[in-house]
Amino acid sequence: MAEASEPAGASPVPTVELRDLLPRLDRGEPLLLVDVRNQDEYESWKLEARRPVETVHVPYFDFIEDAAGALARVPHDRELIVLCAKGGSSEMVVELLGEAGLSARNVNGGMIAYGAYLEAASVPLSATEAKRFSLFQVNRRGKGCLSYVIIARDEAVVVDPSRHVSWYEGFVAERGARIVQVLDTHLHADHVSGGPELARRLSVPYFVSAGEGFELRQPVTGLVDGEQIRLGGEGGVSIELRVIRTPGHTPGSTSFLVDGRYLLTGDTLFVASVGRPDLGGHVVEWGRDLFFSLRDRLADLPAETRVLPAHYTGPAEISAEGVVWGRLGELRKTVPELQIATPEAFVDAVRGAVKDPPAAYSEILKVNLGRPASEEQISEWELGKNQCAASAHGVDEA
Amino acid sequence: MALKKLDVRGTKCPIPIVKAKQEIDNMAAGDELEVTATDAGSVPDFQGWVKTAKHAILKSQRTEKDDTGRELYIHVLERK
Repeated sequence: MAEASEPAGASPVPTVELRDLLPRLDRGEPLLLVDVRNQDEYESWKLEARRPVETVHVPYFDFIEDAAGALARVPHDRELIVLCAKGGSSEMVVELLGEAGLSARNVNGGMIAYGAYLEAASVPLSATEAKRFSLFQVNRRGKGCLSYVIIARDEAVVVDPSRHVSWYEGFVAERGARIVQVLDTHLHADHVSGGPELARRLSVPYFVSAGEGFELRQPVTGLVDGEQIRLGGEGGVSIELRVIRTPGHTPGSTSFLVDGRYLLTGDTLFVASVGRPDLGGHVVEWGRDLFFSLRDRLADLPAETRVLPAHYTGPAEISAEGVVWGRLGELRKTVPELQIATPEAFVDAVRGAVKDPPAAYSEILKVNLGRPASEEQISEWELGKNQCAASAHGVDEA
Repeated sequence: MALKKLDVRGTKCPIPIVKAKQEIDNMAAGDELEVTATDAGSVPDFQGWVKTAKHAILKSQRTEKDDTGRELYIHVLERK
């Protein structure tokens, strides 16, 4: 058996791009994922698909220490897909597997690329709606972050973009439209917003409401509660976005109602939980705000309203149409936190259910307030899935 | 007992451990190897590697900053 050697200078090993791999895993093709990260990284953040991903975990340094022993731990009966944090260690392992006669491919860019990967799903609209506009849910599946693109005629609005802004520019341009406004539902603490940069590059207005106690160091366009943004011009195709203040997850949290029926709730309401109100250190005040936002501010919206959140927790929340969404009338019955009658009980429940704050949330918050940071730092801070829900499993289990 | 230094600044996994193992394999029992890396991932990776390493013990790990403020991850290994 060959000793592990430096991959530099070696002939390129077979690779697979995430845009090809993820649909194959979603279909349940019989691939075996060989995850070669260290134990902590492997346990804290895994690659997921809509079907269970069969995985064997063998850290890359086990291949360096004892290549034969590590190879013996890898089943030989399927196509092997090798994954690490950035794509370097997995490349070395693919080379070793190849030398041993096994068919293996390296996931290009590793988990860093997985964390940045974006895919769009078209939100199913009624026939009359579809004549006037289209609505796309952009799923950053590695992190469970959802952003939105609304296009009416040749104008587009982007809501909660991730920082990979050229993706949104390309997506909208391919559909013959131009981005005229960028919105954030709130000051994110789990990922760096692409909103300010996207707006700056295109010289279009950017909106976010930070709320009391946060000093925003970048220019924003103000929007008031109830204000309407018209998209698609004055002709028959125009649609409106209504601004609804829904403080709680953050003091400035804002929901946007698209064409009277599609409610982009940000981190106020998810399809299986509500946003955690504890990240500012004022869980009682923000928790009460969230209770009243959910009870009163969304009360007059019809049961048919479709809720489109900014996060989800896993593939089980993706509908058959490939979209994470719920009917408001249904969520009023099923989301555990919405069953609670008093603000006091609500605060107690969400306080009991939340986990520790995400590792780098205060650094990410500072960047979203306008502090510069390097790409390398941001990549490091953004590792892992979002932890923005008060409870992924419902308050009863807390 | 000798102390050898290995500079793997600017490299990412798997290079720090590949090079550390090459050095350790050619050292005498009791010799020490101080590895200076810039990849934060090297910290858990060295801890993981030594769990099964035949010839390496991890004696200590620390962080320092270089002149430009860049974080350095320093791992001290002993040949066993």
